[in-house]
Amino acid sequence: MPVADEQFAGLRKGLLEFAILTFVSGRTSAYVGDILEALAPTPFATQEGTLYPLLSKLRREEFVDYQWVESGQGPPRKYYQLTDKGSGRLGELVAYWRHLTSTLENLGR
Amino acid sequence: MERVVTINLNGNSYQLEEPAYDALRSYMTRAEAALGANPDKAEIVRDLEQAIADKCSAHLSPGKSVVSATEMTRILEEMGPVEGEAEAGAQQQQSGAAPQHEPWRPARRLYRIYDNGAWTGVSAGMAAYAGIDVAWVRIFWIVSGLFTGGFTCLVYLVMIFAVPVASTSEELAAAHGAPFNAQEVIDRARREAGRFAETSSASWRREERRWRRSWRRQERNWDAGWAAGATQAAAAPAHSVGYVERMFAGLFAFVFSIITAALLIAFLIAFFSILSNGSVMGWVPPSDVPTWLVLVVLAIAYAAISSPFSALQRTSYATLSGRRTGGATDGLATLAIVVIVGVFAWTYSDEARAFIEQGYVVIRDFVTYWSSQG
Repeated sequence: MPVADEQFAGLRKGLLEFAILTFVSGRTSAYVGDILEALAPTPFATQEGTLYPLLSKLRREEFVDYQWVESGQGPPRKYYQLTDKGSGRLGELVAYWRHLTSTLENLGR
Repeated sequence: MERVVTINLNGNSYQLEEPAYDALRSYMTRAEAALGANPDKAEIVRDLEQAIADKCSAHLSPGKSVVSATEMTRILEEMGPVEGEAEAGAQQQQSGAAPQHEPWRPARRLYRIYDNGAWTGVSAGMAAYAGIDVAWVRIFWIVSGLFTGGFTCLVYLVMIFAVPVASTSEELAAAHGAPFNAQEVIDRARREAGRFAETSSASWRREERRWRRSWRRQERNWDAGWAAGATQAAAAPAHSVGYVERMFAGLFAFVFSIITAALLIAFLIAFFSILSNGSVMGWVPPSDVPTWLVLVVLAIAYAAISSPFSALQRTSYATLSGRRTGGATDGLATLAIVVIVGVFAWTYSDEARAFIEQGYVVIRDFVTYWSSQG
């Protein structure tokens, strides 16, 4: 869907935070490489240049937190997990998303 | 041959080719600018460095210890532009359209550009500066040269010396006033790719040719640098000298070339005057001094007067090219000026023509005398 890619970029951009919180909520902890890999085949495909600033913002807002974990090769890595506040935020987002989609469906009738 | 830069990425050392280093530095500068007043800036920069370091490692092996420019380009493209929170809005994503915010641009500067069959690069540089086609600039030079009786030719000549050559990618970008940073380059690459599909590949090929040519030029510079002496191996590359310094060096190189050329011409005139008339501009050497001694004294005087000027000239050229030992460029410039002045004098002044013919006669007689002795 390369055409849609161009046109709905702003839409996806706004939902990227949602996507990351959802992904992180699905596992105990996630490394940036995991997030990138998981998002790559989806419409939310992103890059380090975008992801690191966004994760740092999410951490500042206390939605996620990270731990340093030693890795087999190379230096220790940051593994992110959802905080309680983050699950609350995700719940809000899910509810709001449902509200939006149902509103859009009803508007057309 | 490419210089290698060793860098420290979040505590790990990596070796990069110089253009790769330039690209990385530009990316990180851009990233820091985009992050602006982000309270986690330092941490994000460290994360980015670590991510780049990981990607570099993937390109290295025990048999390969240096990250090349193309590999770095790919790495930075994978990294993607770093987006600050202020501009993390939707506008960023409009890759096809012009960016809404004013992107950082290098100061536009006049450089000489060797491109599209340019001879000295002056016209190409002016065209890039003004954003017009190079053909118009060339026409301007020719027409104005005809109307001003060659005065603009002199201006052109001065510009060859005073306007530095754009040899690095950053300088080329500055010459065009075009942005050179990761985000803009990627944006432009995307735009170009779009255009590439619908039009022809001519612009790409031209771009590629230019890059290749500038690499070759740089390589030649390095080769010359190596040849000039092993002790100078660490000599500064051409672009380490600032634009203004290079401009002044160019002007001084021009002025000193003129002075040394004028001294050489004066010497030649005096030399042949004494040989043919026994006098210089009305001055007759004392009769008890033999002519050969007068000539020897004249030669010594010439060497003494001209040596400081040619030393200054050499220094100027060295500053201009970024190398201590500038090769024969300075001497060739002097000779070229002498020849040009000679041709002009021959063409426009009867006296000068008579004098040059006289000089020729003196040399011919001397050669005849010499061979008759042998």
